[in-house]
Amino acid sequence: MQPDETLLRLEAVQKRFGGLVVLNNIDIAVGPNELIGLIGPNGAGKSTLFNLITAIYAPTRGRIRFRDQDITGIAPHRISRLGIARTFQLVRTFLTMTAFENVMVGAVYGAGGRVKHATEAANAALELVGLTARRDIRTAHMTLSERRMLEIARAVASEPALLLLDEPMAGLNPTEIQRMVDVIRRVRAEKGVSMLWVEHKVDAIMKVCGRVIVLDHGEKIADGAPREITQNRKVIEAYLGEPAA
Amino acid sequence: MSARMLNWIAALGVAALALAAFLPGAVDSYAFSFLFFVFLYAIMAQAWNLVAGFGGQVSLGNHAFFGLGAYTTAILWSGNYLWGSLYDAYPRIYYFDPVTMALGGLVAALAAVIIGLPLLSKLRGDYFALGTLGFGEIVKVVLINGGDFTGGAFGVVAPAGTFDTLLPHYLVGLGLMVGVALALRLLMRSRYGLALIAVRDDEMAASANGIDTLKVKVAAFAGSAFIAGVAGSLYTYYIFHVGPDSVFDLNWMLLPLMMTVVGGTGTLFGPILGAFVMYAVFDLARIAVPDYHPVISGLTIILAMLFLPKGLMRVRGRRVA
Repeated sequence: MQPDETLLRLEAVQKRFGGLVVLNNIDIAVGPNELIGLIGPNGAGKSTLFNLITAIYAPTRGRIRFRDQDITGIAPHRISRLGIARTFQLVRTFLTMTAFENVMVGAVYGAGGRVKHATEAANAALELVGLTARRDIRTAHMTLSERRMLEIARAVASEPALLLLDEPMAGLNPTEIQRMVDVIRRVRAEKGVSMLWVEHKVDAIMKVCGRVIVLDHGEKIADGAPREITQNRKVIEAYLGEPAA
Repeated sequence: MSARMLNWIAALGVAALALAAFLPGAVDSYAFSFLFFVFLYAIMAQAWNLVAGFGGQVSLGNHAFFGLGAYTTAILWSGNYLWGSLYDAYPRIYYFDPVTMALGGLVAALAAVIIGLPLLSKLRGDYFALGTLGFGEIVKVVLINGGDFTGGAFGVVAPAGTFDTLLPHYLVGLGLMVGVALALRLLMRSRYGLALIAVRDDEMAASANGIDTLKVKVAAFAGSAFIAGVAGSLYTYYIFHVGPDSVFDLNWMLLPLMMTVVGGTGTLFGPILGAFVMYAVFDLARIAVPDYHPVISGLTIILAMLFLPKGLMRVRGRRVA
């Protein structure tokens, strides 16, 4: 990978809450059009990592760079405008708005001026996730799976270079999971967006992602192709515990 | 009822109210001053609706902005700070002067920005509400201790010689009520309105989607203060004597709040409808059972909340109703 092509670069990032080190010495580089799975047992620090990248928290140590810019500690809305979009583990849609209005927020504000024709961009994003027919329905009346799709549409409408997906499959049934996989593939293929994808459904990650990063107790324990990851001793121990002598 | 029909009813209502002012004897009737107060409260209700209903930031300091607008008007007028020698040539120049009224709103809006930046960046929900309540008390005490400039505990008296009829009050009040409603309608259909609702619905998602949430909230707070300040200015032309106890009375904040909630928080017609209904209830109770009228008003609010929790408009949460 060419260094100048790197989209996102975390350099020795550490996050501490009081005496608790949630993330330690994390180095991650995300290249263009990569689809990277981020897995790890509960409490490994996956969501914290997202919250650091999107500036909900500031790292205790280390730098975060996006393209050639140091984005450590800048405001969350500026991160979005630079081209990093995200979804939330506990879906956060604007409940009193229609689906279309939700996506318009991404197209108008999230893009920071990248999107010239917000209405078309919003409609295209709804089409991409298959919510066109639900365009004028208020979000409060939508199902969980529709809301998860809507969050992705809102993110896509801001034409990001990097999309952070925080457990987009949590709470979905098998049919809906299949649809989600299709949407994630389509977003990557049609929009050329790089994605960092946190998921507990490890099988889905292994099938879809070209690269997988494993976190455990705040440390990065593995980073590589799915085949390498499934055979990695540290990863197996993290998930199943150490072999009994 | 469709939104289109509602707009027609509203337009006809406004036309009827405007024409009614010119009926013989109307100016001297009780209904005339009654309606003036309804307009005044409807403007105040709409001001609260902007920041709390659409913006989701429950402010309990709108009486302070009302008072600031009133004081600004009375001070500018009684001290003739604005029009110099023109005042001698036109003694009525301050009477419903748009510049004076706008300045009343601007002073209030400026105060809102100054207090809103620290409050809205640090406090949320109940804490923000209490902060604004505290701010109201601070403004009142500062004005009481303002020496000759603010007239101390007595306040400021504007020249009452210009007063002979309530007709201008009525028409300006009606005009402002309609103007504020139209302005909010435009606002809520704009990009800014989208951001405001986004911040109300989910602040974290709003900022993750590129919205500068502090800016949006402070703007709504300042806009609300501006409207309240203009309402305070309008009230000055009615009361002429602006004192700390009259214009900083908590009722200038509480009654519009109740009217908005009863009418429908976060709707465009709700605050106006609420002002008509609730002011009628307050006033009738005051006439019929003078000793117990707060009981009647209180009961009405309890009943309204029990049976119409989303307000008379029943569409709370909709962007445009």
